[in-house]
Amino acid sequence: MKRDLIDSLIQLAYLEGKITTHGLYEQVGGERDLFITVDSSRRQQLIERLEEAVRNRTASRQDHTLTIGMFLRKKRKEQAILPRDISSRIGLSPNTYRMLEHDRISPLKISTDSWLRLKHLFHLSTDSLVQLIRRTHQVVWFRPSFSETLARYDARKTARQKPEEMRNAAEELYARAHLKVPPDELRKLESLIATIQDSES
Amino acid sequence: MARPMNRKIVKQLREGDPVGCRHLVDAYQRRLLNEATTVFRLRLEDAEEIVSDVLLTVIDKIDTFEFQKGDADFHFWIMAIFRNRLRDFVRQQTIRGKLFVTMGGDALDNTGFETGSDEMLESIIHDYEAEVRRGDSEGGRDQSRSKSDSLQMIADTLDSMETWERVLLRCRALEVPYAEIARYTGKPVDHLKVYHARVKKKFIKLLFERYPEMQIQ
Repeated sequence: MKRDLIDSLIQLAYLEGKITTHGLYEQVGGERDLFITVDSSRRQQLIERLEEAVRNRTASRQDHTLTIGMFLRKKRKEQAILPRDISSRIGLSPNTYRMLEHDRISPLKISTDSWLRLKHLFHLSTDSLVQLIRRTHQVVWFRPSFSETLARYDARKTARQKPEEMRNAAEELYARAHLKVPPDELRKLESLIATIQDSES
Repeated sequence: MARPMNRKIVKQLREGDPVGCRHLVDAYQRRLLNEATTVFRLRLEDAEEIVSDVLLTVIDKIDTFEFQKGDADFHFWIMAIFRNRLRDFVRQQTIRGKLFVTMGGDALDNTGFETGSDEMLESIIHDYEAEVRRGDSEGGRDQSRSKSDSLQMIADTLDSMETWERVLLRCRALEVPYAEIARYTGKPVDHLKVYHARVKKKFIKLLFERYPEMQIQ
């Protein structure tokens, strides 16, 4: 199609969001005859780039939901190391380390020095460590109320009732998971995180 | 082989299934390249980079997408990402002083309408260039909001026309077939084809009337 300056300016106005085509252009953009061909190597290159992006997205999403305990268990398994190998290097007693690996101790009870040693040991970025700490704090804080909820539902043991009871339990847990940590506790957590971040800068 | 429904592609991408990437590329790579090269007249190398960026953005933002009305929502979402990416590309080219080339350069026809109309339109383009460069030098990272007053003149002039005229000019600039425009406006295809040039002439006349200060003396 021949194009003149009016067409070009209208195109610019469309791109800049000044005008719309009421969805007509977007609709046609999906249905037009295709004059262009794409060679298979270009197609394959693009697919590979997208697949890598999907892999990175999945990995970062998984990391986002990790607690310290999950992270440590995963690393020990990957690298075939014993708990004492880690606890001695980050300055924790074996008992405290065991609780940390099972997400049974609040991050606030671990010293900044131990956190920094753990960060360096596993080459974590400050942001990744902070995410792990936040997630662990949340899990440890709400665990008593989760346990109480699960105990109530678990007591109903008949086969017929169980699936529905477990669904109800899950709903209650999700609702509790949205509860906010009290301000005092939150202040202590933010203070720990700020100390870790300041130590690194 | 029939193309998978968009819902299936979205599900695959959300679940991290690599097959979703293949379906996405098969559904959109050629389509978007076609639009970028034939409608927006980009060089193939630039079009390929833009299409790659668009599909990577789809993957990055897939969790923010929701079906509201139907399966076609996904397509409209991708076209919106495509438009934004093209906009950013055009702005970059403008900053590099390559807007005219990007728009088609010497391949553009003169409008051949009123005396001074091409000069006026070129002056609007120069104003747009100046606005984009000003926006860039002011360090505005949020380039999503355009401050383009010059293009607002185009939009306002179109708004002052009859609906079918406005739709005709907007859609033909983006190479929407006459048949689609006819379906939307209710005007016969032949009528639209015959009147296209006249409607453009009317547009220029209205632009002159609304913005006499833009006329080149």
